[in-house]
Amino acid sequence: MLEIKDLHVCVEEDPSEKILKGVNLTINEGEIHAIMGPNGSGKSTLSKVVAGHEAYEVTQGDILYNGESILDLEADERAHLGIFLAFQYPVEVPGVTNKNLLRQAYNTIAEEQGREELDPLQFEDHAREQLKLVDMKEEFLERSVNAGFSGGEKKRNEIFQMAVLQPKLSFLDETDSGLDIDALKIVANGINELSGEDNAVVLVTHYQRILDYVQPDHVHVMIDGKIAKSGDKDLAIKLEEQGYDWLTDTVSVNGEQQ
Amino acid sequence: MGKVKQQKERTFLQDLLNFQGSLNGKSKFLDEVRLKGAEEVRNIPFPTKKLEDWKFISLRDLYKDSYELASDLDVDVPDISEHYLPESKGARLTFINGSFSAEHSSTEDIPEEVLIGNIAKLAEEDNDLLKEHLNKYVENNFEEDVFSSFNKAFLKDGVFVYVPEGLTVDVPLHLLFVQTDADTNYFTTSRSVVVADKESEVTVVEDHIGLGDNKYFNLPVVEVNAEEESYVKHTKIQRDSREAIHIARTAAFVHHHANYESYTITRGAKLSRNEPRISQRDEEVEFTVDGLVLIDGDQVSDTHSVMDHRFSHCESHQLHKCVITGKAHSVFNGKIFVRKDAQKIDSFQENRNLLLSRKGLVNTKPQLEIFADDVVCTHGATVGQLEQDELFYLMSRGLNEQQAREMLIYAFALETIENITVDSVQDLLVDEVHRFTENQLDSELTV
Repeated sequence: MLEIKDLHVCVEEDPSEKILKGVNLTINEGEIHAIMGPNGSGKSTLSKVVAGHEAYEVTQGDILYNGESILDLEADERAHLGIFLAFQYPVEVPGVTNKNLLRQAYNTIAEEQGREELDPLQFEDHAREQLKLVDMKEEFLERSVNAGFSGGEKKRNEIFQMAVLQPKLSFLDETDSGLDIDALKIVANGINELSGEDNAVVLVTHYQRILDYVQPDHVHVMIDGKIAKSGDKDLAIKLEEQGYDWLTDTVSVNGEQQ
Repeated sequence: MGKVKQQKERTFLQDLLNFQGSLNGKSKFLDEVRLKGAEEVRNIPFPTKKLEDWKFISLRDLYKDSYELASDLDVDVPDISEHYLPESKGARLTFINGSFSAEHSSTEDIPEEVLIGNIAKLAEEDNDLLKEHLNKYVENNFEEDVFSSFNKAFLKDGVFVYVPEGLTVDVPLHLLFVQTDADTNYFTTSRSVVVADKESEVTVVEDHIGLGDNKYFNLPVVEVNAEEESYVKHTKIQRDSREAIHIARTAAFVHHHANYESYTITRGAKLSRNEPRISQRDEEVEFTVDGLVLIDGDQVSDTHSVMDHRFSHCESHQLHKCVITGKAHSVFNGKIFVRKDAQKIDSFQENRNLLLSRKGLVNTKPQLEIFADDVVCTHGATVGQLEQDELFYLMSRGLNEQQAREMLIYAFALETIENITVDSVQDLLVDEVHRFTENQLDSELTV
């Protein structure tokens, strides 16, 4: 579904600031991946680059989605293909209700994908159904997008949006951070409900904590702009116990700094 | 050279006084008011950029041309019914080029206890209430102001509303000021006086519409008196012609336990200057002076406001939001005065500017003058663009760039609009915002 090949990325305004330095990653339908790593390792950048953020420039490598490069596509065009990013810091849009944003988003995507658009009533039914998934009240639909939301509400709203838009490939950028245990369980439950055979989820996270509730098929560790190690769930447990230092050593032996 | 220019500016409004003669002879009362206004115009210098309050804008567009008096022109009035507000179908006074049009007005839904009428007629009838209130508020809040004096010098018509004690007027009063298209530049003035007596409540929509793209000079003055425990809601919509000059004054008195809420929307005119001045007349009052400015092309919009806290216990609010694109220029100067002994004042003021183009310009100057010690005054000004992260957020949800920009501009503008209680006004403003956003996107693509 997604193939990231030797991806090098720098900040557009400052090309000397290289963030990704050769990332390789393959994600298939039906899989859940977790990308872990210390602060500043490039995890968040990777998710933004896949979603099409213009602040970053790809200098080398490619991102293939269903076999075709998406590097030339705008963020909205990638969304139309079914790529979704749950933001680490969701943006507040006062004055625009969740319902209006999501209906416009849903129908735009549906139109691009040749699916049937929903009228306001149909859409409301669809949205109400998804609210249960993240344990939110109906008035959530009428509230302005993220405006005045608590940190936990914003994160749940991201999962709610994912549920409404039904993407094929979702990057969840630290959706688990800043959540208390109850909210974490709700978010994890939502992710489990939404992941299926024809879609894929990538959890970008600092902590092993969410992996107690969401079982990843693959765990990757990102250090200094590269995937330093990949493995299964046991890798996450080892990281929790031993930290990242043992991997940092590996990188400095085998990496470019040599 | 400077001297010659100064001379020209000084005489501009005085020259126009020559048109005054045709107005006289119908009401002795108004004849005297106009004489007094003319005398003031002769004695007050025309403002120049050397004055602190006029330094950001040039009035050259105003004084470089000559004008005729609007009521001297013969006009054909097209169908203007599309501009009627459905809520006010029986509560509308229409003025065409400054003169009352009975044909386009209706007051059948207004309770008969309310005194509402056009000033020309009430003056002919020598109405005592009119004589008591007219000029009282503007003369107090605007001293040595040549424009309000000029308005006085040409005072011949306008609206007078008196809501008696204890009465709530459910229908919003639509004061519709229509300026027609014309081959000649003209000037027009109007006066609206709204008096809400004790414990009364009234909503007024002051609506200025230019039907063409012609140049004219529009000088409306509004006076509001909110007596004890009254509630006055005032929405002003300015959609004058793109070549028009709009210079407006609003003077409000707010008495004990009263609330005056005003929302001013600026969309039209080449050059506009709004000056709301709110005067607290007793303890424990509330008032709001919010504004929304949407300007593009070569439009200039200037708001100079005064919130005068003269007694203890006042809550005041001013959120002035501007969206600027093209080569447009927005000016804001908000003065907050807190007089000595006016304690327990809670005043909020913020000017937020969304600057969408490189050639747009913003001058903003919040200004506090506080002479009491137990007050909370927050004030601030920001100038920003649409954030890349905000656009990315919406685009990652599937919206294209245009939809995303529209949504963000709409969200920015809505904060002011959503407080307006007349639904059809909200709707028409939402439409204005959409049209504005579409226009700015089109023009940006061609740059």
